[in-house]
Amino acid sequence: MGLHDHPDKLRAAIQSALDTLEEERATETILLAYGLCGNGLIGVRAGRCQLVLPRAHDCISVFLGSPASHEAVLKADPGTYFYSPGWIRGRRVPGPDREAYLRACYAPRYPDDPEVVDDLIEADREIFAQHGCAAYVDLTNDSAAESYCQDCARHLGWKYRRLPGDPTLLRDLLTGPWDAARFLVVPPGHAVAQSPGGALLAASAT
Amino acid sequence: MKTILASLAVAVETGKRNDAKNLTQSLVDKGMAPLDIVEQGLVPGMSAIGNKFKKNEVFVPEMLIAARAMKECMILLEPLLAKAGIKPKHTVVIGTVQGDLHDIGKNLVSMMLKGANFGVIDLGANVDPSKFAAAAKEHGASLIALSALLTTTMPAMKTTVDAIRASDMAKLKIMIGGAPISQEYADQIGADGYSADAASAVDLALSLVGETH
Repeated sequence: MGLHDHPDKLRAAIQSALDTLEEERATETILLAYGLCGNGLIGVRAGRCQLVLPRAHDCISVFLGSPASHEAVLKADPGTYFYSPGWIRGRRVPGPDREAYLRACYAPRYPDDPEVVDDLIEADREIFAQHGCAAYVDLTNDSAAESYCQDCARHLGWKYRRLPGDPTLLRDLLTGPWDAARFLVVPPGHAVAQSPGGALLAASAT
Repeated sequence: MKTILASLAVAVETGKRNDAKNLTQSLVDKGMAPLDIVEQGLVPGMSAIGNKFKKNEVFVPEMLIAARAMKECMILLEPLLAKAGIKPKHTVVIGTVQGDLHDIGKNLVSMMLKGANFGVIDLGANVDPSKFAAAAKEHGASLIALSALLTTTMPAMKTTVDAIRASDMAKLKIMIGGAPISQEYADQIGADGYSADAASAVDLALSLVGETH
């Protein structure tokens, strides 16, 4: 889960998983339910197989059914922070448990300096200070996760919003066919690249 | 004084703002020129933590506490810089583009530009595209710097560049940066430069205004 905070690590982990999958000779196509994910997917290479990805900013575009729905939510309220059952699982999202998570990260790094650990936790709060809305997105009706998101909103003094999930993009990724408007097919020997227009993703020769 | 400067750089790098303030004050008391303190103590400290961040060795909060330490030292030094007649040679207008509220990267770049003796007009975050050219005109800026954190707000960067190019400040240099931004994107939207981090943003800014670093 922490890989999503570090796009370089995410890229390396995905590449390594792909390389392993490609060793299975029967595999022809690998579906990646990822989007740009902070550019963590940029540079991921297809070897022998073709890769298919939804054109998405990240999983939120997938859960909402399209990048356009994702963009519309942020346009209406740029202070929206998205929660989903998977994202909540690590208990590291902004909310009542984040401080404990951060202490566990930082205390071993600064064992002789509790003051610095406190400063880092305060700085972390600053990172999220510009947000004001916890938006819960779910395709599974996970009531425990939804209730946790409501706790987070209360803890932070943010508004709470439930956004309706739309499984169409994920379903169509799994079933195909993959129309070029909504999906990127990366041919063997090519890599995922950024496409700054509305297409978001492109394939480039490596 | 070299030892104190080295300790100051370490205090900034590790975000120990009280130590950094005390060391800055002691260098001032010893008669060191404020600009030398900035260039040889504060900026190297920020560059060091910036390099660690680039290598994924530290996280954003560690960058933030370092920036806060540098900021507190700058509060001590800015009046002395002004008194010493050190005036910014160039002014830059900086802001995060419309729809994007994230200001951490933009604040770090602002701080490093101030450290390099730029005058910085900070328009904040979620800035209307028309405001950049207007502020540049008002303050006689020679450079505009745009930031975006999200892939969802990257299109606003293009809108902003287009608005500047369509204004009477069309010839101003524009530099861009932010997590999803690349040189390729800068070329595509007609920005004059891209930098990957706050330290290289200073080198880029200097070269865009015709100064060699």
